[in-house]
Amino acid sequence: MTDALHLTLQHTDGPYAVATVTGDVDLHTAPTLRSGALDLIQQGHRHLILDMRGVQFCDSAGLSALIRIWHGAKDAGGSLALAAVSGRLMRMLNLTGMDSLLPVHPTADDALSGSRPTADA
Amino acid sequence: MPQQVSVPDEEAGPEYKGSPRVVPDPDVEAARIAAVRRYDILDTPPDGAFDRVASLAARLFDVPVATVTIVDTDRIWFKAAHGLHDMAELGRDPGLCGSAVLRDEALVIPDTLLDDVAQSNPLVTGPMGVRFYAAAPIVTTDGHRLGTVNILDTKPRSITEDDAATLADLAAIVMDEMELRLAALAMVRHEQERRAAESWHAEIEHERAEAERRAREQAEKDKAAIAAFASTLQRTLLPPALPVVPGLELACHYRTASVHDVGGDFYDVFPLDGGRWAFFLGDVCGKGAEAAAVTSLTRYTLRAAAQIDPDPRTVLGALNNALLADVSAGSRFCTAIFGLLTPDDTGGFHVAVATGGHPPAYHLRPDETGQVEVVAVRPKGGMLIGALPEAQFAQVTFHMAPGEGLLLYTDGLTEARTSDGAMLGEEGLTAFLRRRTAPVSATTLVDDTVVLLESLPDGAGDDVALLALSVPRCETVPDQAVSATAHTSAAPEPTGQER
Repeated sequence: MTDALHLTLQHTDGPYAVATVTGDVDLHTAPTLRSGALDLIQQGHRHLILDMRGVQFCDSAGLSALIRIWHGAKDAGGSLALAAVSGRLMRMLNLTGMDSLLPVHPTADDALSGSRPTADA
Repeated sequence: MPQQVSVPDEEAGPEYKGSPRVVPDPDVEAARIAAVRRYDILDTPPDGAFDRVASLAARLFDVPVATVTIVDTDRIWFKAAHGLHDMAELGRDPGLCGSAVLRDEALVIPDTLLDDVAQSNPLVTGPMGVRFYAAAPIVTTDGHRLGTVNILDTKPRSITEDDAATLADLAAIVMDEMELRLAALAMVRHEQERRAAESWHAEIEHERAEAERRAREQAEKDKAAIAAFASTLQRTLLPPALPVVPGLELACHYRTASVHDVGGDFYDVFPLDGGRWAFFLGDVCGKGAEAAAVTSLTRYTLRAAAQIDPDPRTVLGALNNALLADVSAGSRFCTAIFGLLTPDDTGGFHVAVATGGHPPAYHLRPDETGQVEVVAVRPKGGMLIGALPEAQFAQVTFHMAPGEGLLLYTDGLTEARTSDGAMLGEEGLTAFLRRRTAPVSATTLVDDTVVLLESLPDGAGDDVALLALSVPRCETVPDQAVSATAHTSAAPEPTGQER
C-alpha cells in the first residue's frame, strides 16, 4: 500500500478549483487530504471540486476528512463537490446519507459545469 | 436514623493502619449525600461497565464475592454485585461497607471475627458468614466518598499493600465511569431543556445564546473529563457482558484487529421501565484514544437519552447533538442502530429501530416450510451521526415472533474479503443468512457467523462486533433457559497481519 497521498491543484476559475487526489485515503493519509483541501479553501478556492479518479481506497477516516472539508467550505461561503468516486466510497456516501451534502459527478468537467452559475459566456 | 457506632480503640489490630471505626461528621455526611444525589446513580439499572469492575475484582483477588456499592442515607445499595444473588441493598450497619465509606484509605479486615465492630455485622453473623473483607472508597474529585468497591471471602486471608493499591485503582475506575455517565446525562438533559426553551420562546434570542454558552462550557468540562480518563478508558472500553432478558436469547461477538487500538465498535443491551429493553450497536469513525473517548461518550449518551425518552429517533437525535457539542474529539462521527423492544402478549416483541448511517440489520423470519426469509431492516435516510446539526434519522417498526431473530453487525463483517478477493458484502451476508434453518437461535447465529469470518482467507482484517437477538419458541425453552453469551477477543489471532 502506498503511504503517499497527493493533492494537486489542476484548474482554477475564480473561486472555483479542481484538485485531484491520488493515493489511498486512510487513517494515516486522511489528515494530508484534510489540511491540503482546507488550505486551498483558505487561499480563496472556496468552491472546491475533488477529482477522486486516482483514489483506489477510502475508508471511514477518509469520509471524516471529506465532512471536515465540507464544513470548511461551507463556513467560507463555498461548496465541496466530488468527481469520479469509486464504488466503495459511493456506497459509504449513500449509506451515511452524506450524498445529500456532497454532490457526486461522473467527471471533474461535469462537476465544474454543474456547480458554476450557468449564465456565463 | 441508624448512624455509625463509634468504638474508638484505634490501637487494636497492629497490622492495620487506621481502624474501621470513624464517626461521620454531620456536615461531611450531608455534603457526601448531596454528592451521591448529584451523580443520580441510586436505583439505576445494571450497567456492564460497573459489572465488569466487580467481576474483575473477584478474578484479580480470587474471592467469591465482589461488589460496587453506593452508600445512601440509610442503606448500602449495590450498583454491581459479582457472586451475590437476590440482594439489592443492605442496611447501613457498621463494620464493613458502612465503615469503609467513612475513610479515605482502603479498609482491610483479614478476619472479621477478630474485629470488634465487624464481628456483629449481619453479613458476618448471617448465612453468608463473611470472614474476610476489604474495600476502597469511591471518591469524587472534590473529595466526597460515594461508596466503595468491596471484596469479600468466607475464609480469613490477608492482602498486600500492592493489592490494596489495586483495589483503590478499581475504585478510581468506577469514579471515572460515574463522571462520564454524569457528563452524558447532563448533556442530554441540557440539550432537551435548551430545545424546549427554543420552541417556547423562539423570540428570546439571548436565552438561546445563553444555552449555547452553557453547552460549550459543558463540552469543555466533558473534554477535560475525557482527556483525564483516557488511559483508564482503554481498559474499561471493552463492550459489557450482556444481561439476561426474559423471553429473549442474546449473543454477541467482539474482536479488535489490534490489542493497542481499542476499536470504535460498540454495543449494549439494557433495561428500561415497563418491561421494555433497549439495544444498540455502532461504529465510531477512526481509531485510538480519540475514538475511544467518543465511543464512551456515545455509549453513555445513548443510555442516558433512552432513560429520558426511549423513542429510537429521539435517542439518535440526542447523540447527534452530544457529538456536535463535543468540540474536543477529533473524529466525532459514528454510525449506529438503536432499537427499542416492547414485549407483547404473543411471546414476541414489538421492535422499533432507528439508524444513523449504519449498514442494515437483518431480521430472520422462518416460514411454514422452515426456510428462513431474510429481511433487511433499512430505515430510509438515516444519516451519519455527529456530522450535521440538521441530520435526520429514520425509523422502522416490526414484530419479532417466537422462532425469529435479528442480527446487527459492524462493517468489519461485510467488508471482510472472501477467497476470490471480493468483499463479502450485503449480498454475501444475505446469502449466508438465507441458508439458516428454523428456529433462529442468537447463539448459533453468532457462532456460525464467527466460523464464517474465520473461514475467510485473512479472517476479519478489521474490528468486528456482532449482536444477535432471537425469541425462543416456548416448546424449545425450559423456564429461565434464556441465555446471554459473549465472545470477546481483544487480541488478534497470531496470523501476523501487518498494517
